[in-house]
Amino acid sequence: MRRPGILILLLVSGVPTVAGLVAALWFGLDAAAFLRVLNTPGVGLSIASSVWTGVSATLLSLMLAHVVLAVANTGNWRRRLTALSLPFLAMPHLATGIGVALVLAPSGLLLRLLSPWATGFTEPPDWFSVHDPYGLSLIAGLMLKETAFLVLVLSAAQSQAPTGRLLLQARSLGYGRLKSWLVAVAPLLQQQIGLPLAAVLVFGITNVEMAIPLGPGLPPTFSVLLWSWFVDADPQVHAQAWAGSLLLLLVTALTVLAASRLASGVGSLWRRWAESGSRLRRERSLRGAACTIMGGMWILGILALVAILLRAAAGPWRFPQVLPSSTGADSFAAWSAALPGGSNVAGTTVVLALATAVAGALLVLPAAEALRGDANGRRKLGTCLFLPLLLPQITFLFGVQVLLVSAGIDGTFAAVLWSHLIFALPYVWGVIGPARAAIDPRYAAVGRTLGAGPVRVWMTVTAPLTLRSMLLAMALAFSVSVALYLPTLFAGAGRVATAATEAAASAGSGTLRLAAMHSVWLAVFPLLAFAAAYAASAAVFRHRRGVPR
Amino acid sequence: MTVAGDNCLAIRQLSLRVDGQMLFRTLDLAVAPGTVVVVTGPSGAGKSSLLAFLCGTLPPEFDAQGAVWLDGDDISRLPPEKRGLGILFQEPLLFPHLSVRGNLLFGLREGDSRKTRRLIVDRELDAMGLAGFGDRDPVTLSGGQKARVALLRVLLARPRALLLDEPFLGLDDANRAKVRQLVFDEIRRRQLPTLLVTHDRDDVACADGPVVALTRP
Repeated sequence: MRRPGILILLLVSGVPTVAGLVAALWFGLDAAAFLRVLNTPGVGLSIASSVWTGVSATLLSLMLAHVVLAVANTGNWRRRLTALSLPFLAMPHLATGIGVALVLAPSGLLLRLLSPWATGFTEPPDWFSVHDPYGLSLIAGLMLKETAFLVLVLSAAQSQAPTGRLLLQARSLGYGRLKSWLVAVAPLLQQQIGLPLAAVLVFGITNVEMAIPLGPGLPPTFSVLLWSWFVDADPQVHAQAWAGSLLLLLVTALTVLAASRLASGVGSLWRRWAESGSRLRRERSLRGAACTIMGGMWILGILALVAILLRAAAGPWRFPQVLPSSTGADSFAAWSAALPGGSNVAGTTVVLALATAVAGALLVLPAAEALRGDANGRRKLGTCLFLPLLLPQITFLFGVQVLLVSAGIDGTFAAVLWSHLIFALPYVWGVIGPARAAIDPRYAAVGRTLGAGPVRVWMTVTAPLTLRSMLLAMALAFSVSVALYLPTLFAGAGRVATAATEAAASAGSGTLRLAAMHSVWLAVFPLLAFAAAYAASAAVFRHRRGVPR
Repeated sequence: MTVAGDNCLAIRQLSLRVDGQMLFRTLDLAVAPGTVVVVTGPSGAGKSSLLAFLCGTLPPEFDAQGAVWLDGDDISRLPPEKRGLGILFQEPLLFPHLSVRGNLLFGLREGDSRKTRRLIVDRELDAMGLAGFGDRDPVTLSGGQKARVALLRVLLARPRALLLDEPFLGLDDANRAKVRQLVFDEIRRRQLPTLLVTHDRDDVACADGPVVALTRP
């Protein structure tokens, strides 16, 4: 019972990852293709803009998340903060990117709100407010998602450390809220969040989901360049994509390495700052600035959601008008007409996400059972499952696709499901593993001594006590699956169409209206999943306050 | 103390080791029906491990030698649910997802119809002075009430012997004496051999039985 559950979980996650990476190395090491990559005009700038946007978005998100948590560290606000960041966590990168593009573009919602009364514009100005060459809109879009993610990761880490007492101690020594947090708590938390932070950095550098709708155009970020090569029919260009994906892996690895070296340098500076004994004077204004940025980002996020809905529903929509002139029945008819196989796409998306959620929970439960008393083993398994999130998706998914093709199962539902599980399992495990371990083992002992066998004890005691975590984990897996673009594209061999693949394809070809329509699904499905999970978790055991949340 | 007749809970030549280290000196004891044998010892002496061994829930990293006998049978190899040992912990450990009645029904042996089972449980609640508590959420009960429900749950499973792991420690002074009296009365009435692990002097005095101290080898 103990070993097989863990082994299966590791195989499901590890085999495609390792095999994909090996295949990527095997097929990508092609000197001629490498030369062609390096001789591509603007490739240096393209790599630089990948690194620049990824690193700045990660750094800014981390700083912002810490400051916000420092300010909002009383119990009530922490809960509110989690609730406020939830919509942005649930909304996939792709939908957020498309939404932000619809807000910030010269003809976007923001300028419509301000025109003509404040700006005087009656025509969209000739600005590069998205696809800007410095990647600023891409950084803003990434920050929107990653700050919310890091706030959640940090508050989870916070419950593992005696942060409340440390904070109180620092404040009683005369430090303000911000410096108390930054000096007494933040270093402790940083030690715990290394892996998720690295994943944020890797995603920032290598993503296409946000770089397609928001990133610089000429040249695009490196991963977008690779993506455009990959969808090219010419085998020479294809080989270039292979070689380039290895280059991306190298660049990413070097950046992460440099970042971790930098972090230890910052650590010693930090200690000196702590030992200096200086109490921050202008803390209030710093906190105010952070809250303003946070509020601005929150508004941007909400506007993005509104913009998606408006754009999807709108017919013709002349520039300074805030609301489209025609909505309603005719545009809904136009919508259904404009979506070739629209209901099929939505259906595939939901079925795939449900299958990911159910299979994810079924795979994780035996391992959670086996490792319930082994904190060390749980940590190790968590790290192993997390490793695929530290690789550039594009690199190992190329390899995965070759393997799937040679096995003759590319483009099948099972292959896509498997690829989704790789990305969902770390989150499912992250919720269910600790929740299972937190159940007092004496409940099971009591059940057994009262005469129930192991199976009955699991069904009637353990499973109900884990049910709420299972619901949350399944909602997470569901929303991860809805959001996945590259895995669906590669494992599906372009034949499995989900909201994500269609939205990315339309955003890539610049048809934002179609992209917005598919983004509605992308935004709505995860929100519905979380809402359903929360409602169900509140409804079950509604009269039993002692059941763990 | 090697008298191990029928109706006895007997521990024979028991030693527990972790990483080759013996937790306490080889233990031999017998508990006669209706008596309470008190086990004391410093913390870390292996009191909880001893109880886990008796229940059959000892983690695999322990190396146990010796046997436990009940009513003339060696029960050492039986799974926990077949041993006929009931245990009460310091916390009442009522299942939080079940009502008070649900907890008691979980304990009650199977057999009768649903309706009869409910009647039995409600009658027992009544006898325990907890009439009308069946539908309550366990967390809404006071400490003394929870302890009573936990006791009732164990008794409904009709154990052949009882293990008590400092079960009165979490109660306030007023409740402690009452609940203790209740538990000991039931033990005597049902003639259950009982092993009580405790630090509390009043517990020892009330138990009025042999005292065994676990000592380091």
